[in-house]
Amino acid sequence: MSLLSVRNLGVGFGQVEAVKSVSFDISEHSTVALVGESGSGKSVTALSILGLLPETATRRGEILYGGRNLLQTASRELRALRGAEISMIFQEPMSSLNPVFSVGFQVGEALREHLGLSRGGARRRILELFREVGLSDPEVKVGRYPFQLSGGEQQRVMIAMAIACEPKLLIADEPTSALDVTVQKQILDLIAELQRRRRMSMLFITHDLSLVGTIAEQVIVMRQGEIREQGSVAEVFGAPRDDYTRALLACRPPLDHRPARLPTIESLAPAKEERKRGLRGDEAVVLEARGLAKRFDRVEAVKGASFRLAKGRTLGLVGESGSGKTTLGFLVTGLHRASAGEVRFHGEDARSVPRLAFKRKVQIVFQNPYASLNPRFSVGQILTEPMRIHGIGRDEAERRSRAEGLLAKVGLPGSALFKYPHEFSGGQRQRIAIARALALGPELVVCDEAVSALDVSIQAQLLNLLQDLQDEYAMSYLFISHDLAVVKYMADEVMVMKDGEIVEMAGSDEIYAEPKHPYTKALLASIPK
Amino acid sequence: MKYVVRRLWQFVPTLAGVVLLVFFLFNWVGGDPAYILAGKIANPELIENIRRSLGVDQPYWVQLWIFVRQVATGDFGVSWATNERVSQIFATRLGPSLTVLLPLLITSTLLAMAAAMLVAYWRGSLTDRAIMIGCTVGQSISILVYILVFQYVLAYQLGWFPVQGWGGTLGENLLRYGALPVLVGVVVALAPDIRLYRSFFLDEINQDYVRTARAKGLAEGRVMWLHVLRNAAIPIATNVMIQIPGLLAGAFLIERFFSIPGIGREVILAVERSDFPVIKAVTIYVAIATMIINLAADLLYKALDPRVELE
Amino acid sequence: MSLWRLAWRRFCRDRVGIVSAAIVLAYVLLAAASAAGWVARDWSNEVGVSYAPPGFLGRDTVQEGLGEVIKAQPRADYGIPDPLGAELADIHANVSGASGRDTRAKTLAFGGDKWGRDVVQKAIKGTETSLVVGLAAAVLATFLGTLFGAAAGYRGGWVDDFFNWLYSVFTSIPYLLLVLAVAAVLDQKGILTVILILGLTGWTGIFRLIRAEYLKHRVREYVLAADAIGASNARRVFVHILPNVSHVVLVQLSLHVVLFIKSEVILSFLGFGVGVDTVSWGSMLAEAPSELILGMWWQIAAATAAMALAVTAFSLFTDAVRDALDPRLA
Repeated sequence: MSLLSVRNLGVGFGQVEAVKSVSFDISEHSTVALVGESGSGKSVTALSILGLLPETATRRGEILYGGRNLLQTASRELRALRGAEISMIFQEPMSSLNPVFSVGFQVGEALREHLGLSRGGARRRILELFREVGLSDPEVKVGRYPFQLSGGEQQRVMIAMAIACEPKLLIADEPTSALDVTVQKQILDLIAELQRRRRMSMLFITHDLSLVGTIAEQVIVMRQGEIREQGSVAEVFGAPRDDYTRALLACRPPLDHRPARLPTIESLAPAKEERKRGLRGDEAVVLEARGLAKRFDRVEAVKGASFRLAKGRTLGLVGESGSGKTTLGFLVTGLHRASAGEVRFHGEDARSVPRLAFKRKVQIVFQNPYASLNPRFSVGQILTEPMRIHGIGRDEAERRSRAEGLLAKVGLPGSALFKYPHEFSGGQRQRIAIARALALGPELVVCDEAVSALDVSIQAQLLNLLQDLQDEYAMSYLFISHDLAVVKYMADEVMVMKDGEIVEMAGSDEIYAEPKHPYTKALLASIPK
Repeated sequence: MKYVVRRLWQFVPTLAGVVLLVFFLFNWVGGDPAYILAGKIANPELIENIRRSLGVDQPYWVQLWIFVRQVATGDFGVSWATNERVSQIFATRLGPSLTVLLPLLITSTLLAMAAAMLVAYWRGSLTDRAIMIGCTVGQSISILVYILVFQYVLAYQLGWFPVQGWGGTLGENLLRYGALPVLVGVVVALAPDIRLYRSFFLDEINQDYVRTARAKGLAEGRVMWLHVLRNAAIPIATNVMIQIPGLLAGAFLIERFFSIPGIGREVILAVERSDFPVIKAVTIYVAIATMIINLAADLLYKALDPRVELE
Repeated sequence: MSLWRLAWRRFCRDRVGIVSAAIVLAYVLLAAASAAGWVARDWSNEVGVSYAPPGFLGRDTVQEGLGEVIKAQPRADYGIPDPLGAELADIHANVSGASGRDTRAKTLAFGGDKWGRDVVQKAIKGTETSLVVGLAAAVLATFLGTLFGAAAGYRGGWVDDFFNWLYSVFTSIPYLLLVLAVAAVLDQKGILTVILILGLTGWTGIFRLIRAEYLKHRVREYVLAADAIGASNARRVFVHILPNVSHVVLVQLSLHVVLFIKSEVILSFLGFGVGVDTVSWGSMLAEAPSELILGMWWQIAAATAAMALAVTAFSLFTDAVRDALDPRLA
């Protein structure tokens, strides 16, 4: 029995068609996963169900629920449905909650609006709900403001608000994407449990295919406003018919083996050879850190880190947000000055190496492709600037031709020299950032979450590129990420960081097979199967 | 409370700076006051006497010390024009200023908030654009014109209000003499306030929590008047508080034309007559008032916004 | 295509922006022509009769009125020759414009002031004054505010403390009060004085914004990247960050032109602005109270209209520039 039916839904904003013609059904008591990368139109589809799109959006088609077309329903009736029969939770819990009202008040609003409960009745119900969603000390939490709660707690509050009136359909728009890895699993389990116990239907939206298996029965794959494939999880995962789906499934670095190259949308065939990782022990040491520490005002971001980077090898650094991993990367690059400890570069104290000489050897690629390139510079200026500062190349013409060479190395055409960052996609900008890092011929490159902001299919391309460059130039990488699968794929040795300390360090195969520290075990346990 | 004490301590360097600035302006740049006081009669003996009595024949650091003492004791001597004690001038002029200022502030803020919220809600509509253009044009007309025209049309021609003057009782002042000045003040303040508050409301309307409130099924009215307003009230309230010192001195044009015996009018008269002690004293007093009001604004901000932590 | 070019394109699509830019340009050209002496050079010539009404009103109502008043007085001789007769005749002739100075016009395009000077010419000359003051003072204030803001925001530490202290000192005193105090002290009129007064006191708003921008950009990744490739501090401040805050600077410059035009009008009105040999919209408005009582509204109307059009055009132009430059749309 179909609870909600979407028929030929189309949504446009001005000239752009965000959703082209989408049709699917959601049955009673079942979960449908809607998967797509950024720009696929999945969120827009979800928002149109509840009529939460901006006024300027144009809508076509039908959304059938309870015998009505929701796209044509009057707003007063629609409001009666929202929060009562159909609820929604969003990706960013911090900004989705009103900062100036207590969380108890906000959950209570839904109860009072739809169920007409009295003050006392509402309060009791709120406490029950808080307990149900796993919030500790509900009596205390009721009076708290959103900013006083952690990300995971905020999302639990959002969930409580959404299920308060026993909805028939829960729409969850990337509910775990903004949370730490260890918390993600808890929230996912909670949502799955609630769906089962209350026999709700759920529309679960995500960009991460690996989450789908644990939570949904049906899956829909969207790309650029269209549905590419839909069916049961077994069908779609087992025998995907669409190229894009296959790419999505294949492009994630697998945990159990390590192909020499990752499949990408362009070349889906898996590579046959495996790549061996690990240190032999006799490699030259490019950089060594001893007791490196950094403190900001009263906070100790890094508390004494010691490690070694071998030539031509990759050292992975794994941690959640706030672990200090980015700070550590900045310390290595010299962007922050260490409060204690030292960095030795080829045996010499890094502080005694002249500033420019050090920067030629140690480079960095940042996480955010939209923020790491100066929007006012052309690509040519971005690439030739380091050369100009370090005196590479006799004149502008030579520098320009070197820049073209760099662009070719990262797979971009020479015409890109005259364009500006905003004319490129996220993945292309990251290639430009890599080209910039390469411009000085460094020995060590810090990759600070360099692929984390990219879609899975683009990620695979960039990881292949980074690996090719390492093979060609024998550069060392300090590869920082919160994504365990990516780190395992790329790194020879892995350090795990928590609250500023390195809690475990071992070869990448060993650490995943036999983690020793409890935190490492918790991290590995949270990877969805 | 530690925060308040810390902030009070921070007044000192700022106040010192203001004192220095005022001193620099008036005692150094300001030319020889003796000539001004002596009037047209430039009798050298007279000038010397005046100089000695004012202490301007002393070296600069002595003069500075005299000034600092004046600031500390609140005794700025007497007005050069009327010989009235400066502190006395303030005590008597504060009342009338506030009688106009407070109704003006309250009325214009409430009206501007309501108008701004409606306009922000109907963003992009014809009403929105018409009102915004109206505000832009309204702001382009000098306050002088508003005063002159309103006075001429509403008071002189139509006789609805007294042209100028001040009465004896509070009631009379509020309702009769103060009505037109407040009206002019409100009209002048509306345009920039509506524009500013509109931007505050727009910032809030685009926030995620508004989407959540709608997703819960709340009525639009509740979403706007409770959720959005409560958040927008924070920058609005602090903005209102920050305007107060400016209004104290800035209502001088209104006070001057409507002959309201307030602080602003004193300032204009003092400036016209080069009455340095009065100008110096006003500047210092208003500076102190500004610092206190800024502190109050920060405390208000903390009271309204639970996220704010005052270290 | 650079962001500037994109912004230009966006601006060209904004009809209100184009129209207001055209009006602003017209004003600037008018001011330049006036400064060069091509128009309104003889504004101070008393070409009309006192309080000459605007031509479009039809008749010289005022003159008729005053003439009537004089004619209406009965002349009782008693055989004694009127000792003041000659003088009275003179006055009568002057008022009705029939004396030797026959060349005085009875009506002017938009009327005349008390001394018979052409209001239109005065308004044009006032445009020159206001625009020169507004633009020059805005450039000065923006320069100071940007320089101080960049230093404080980027360097931090004691540099920031110093400028913040300076900022709090200047802002403890309400703007107009500070301007008046400086004007009272300088006691010297003239365009240069006004420009200095406004420019040296008006930098605070810009300082605060630019400082906030530099604080924000200083930790942005493209600046860190510049550090990583070896760019010096100076290079980061001027070559990297400044172009990215230039849109804020431009909008502030434009806003302050408007603010300073309005401030100059108030200063001139109170008598602290330009000297008596220069005309400003403010000095025109200063003559208004006495004129309104007599029912002469054209000077205040001309000054107000000229100023309102200029300021409105500038404000709309500023809004259009801000919308075009908004990096969020990029």
